[in-house]
Amino acid sequence: MVYLQLFLSFLKVGFIGFGGGMAIISLIKEDVLRYGWVTEQEFVDIVAISQVTPGPIGMNCATYIGYTAGGFAGSVLASLGIILPSLLIMLIICRLYDRIHDKWQDNQVFVWVMRVIRLLVVFLIAHAAITLMSPATFPDGWSWVLFGGVFVCSVLPVFIHTEQGSVGHRVLDAVSHPIYLILLCGAVGLLSYLIG
Amino acid sequence: MSANKPSLRTLFLTYLKIGAFTIGGGYAMLALVEREVVDRYRWLDEKEFLNMMALAQAAPGLLAVNSAIFLGHRLCGWRGVAVCVTGAVLPSFVVILLIAMCFSRYKNLPAVEAVFRCIRPAVVALIAATVVRLAKHIW
Repeated sequence: MVYLQLFLSFLKVGFIGFGGGMAIISLIKEDVLRYGWVTEQEFVDIVAISQVTPGPIGMNCATYIGYTAGGFAGSVLASLGIILPSLLIMLIICRLYDRIHDKWQDNQVFVWVMRVIRLLVVFLIAHAAITLMSPATFPDGWSWVLFGGVFVCSVLPVFIHTEQGSVGHRVLDAVSHPIYLILLCGAVGLLSYLIG
Repeated sequence: MSANKPSLRTLFLTYLKIGAFTIGGGYAMLALVEREVVDRYRWLDEKEFLNMMALAQAAPGLLAVNSAIFLGHRLCGWRGVAVCVTGAVLPSFVVILLIAMCFSRYKNLPAVEAVFRCIRPAVVALIAATVVRLAKHIW
């Protein structure tokens, strides 16, 4: 029964998938190859496509593998499976947070615990950026030029302070906007292809 | 508590936009969520945003979905959760379905590869820049 297997398998991934996209993909791989839903080669392709299409990587993988294994119904069941545990667990956490946060906002222990957690989060994001700097993502020198350009544009608002609503603010807003930066780099890629 | 309460429609459209334009998963999404939720609408301040990311990471599951649940719940209760999660996953669900149906024919085209070759370093740069943008708000 491929539908039930798909749903339960992704439900399991949703429950035990700590540590974000890449950690979750390694979990998905186990069941996917065991049940033979896709080949190993297809799996690698799906991970690549999930990274370059909109949306959460784990969700994209679930939808794609679900569709390959069980058509439209399979894609819906796999996607629901990976989201449902999050709904349950996050709603419990939100309830606790609302209660604790409003009462403990000035409590020194709570303030310090949140500081340490925030520090860890920033380190985890840095770690994600560093691990993604692989030869697959950065095949040549031009990749690093693009990286540098986008990085500088993106951090400009941290170092340059402008008045809300001024021309400078709007210009800074535009050149540091993630969507514009991604579209611009896509256009550069297309242009480089067209002129050879 | 945050002073600004959005309408469900604004919340849905904002998360639909975030879902549609986030390439590269949860960490890449941070930059856009921060811009919309903190800078533009001021639904959360920087500290609350980092708390949200911390809790979304501490829980199992997808970072993008977890943070959508937190924000939806904080701003509009269970209705907010429903619109945020739907908005966050709907674009990727539709796009992946379309790709799964027909992408196998086009994925090896040199033009497609050339475009993504330049987008990938940009995605990594956006993630790295998020570290700089958030670092001063840790304390």
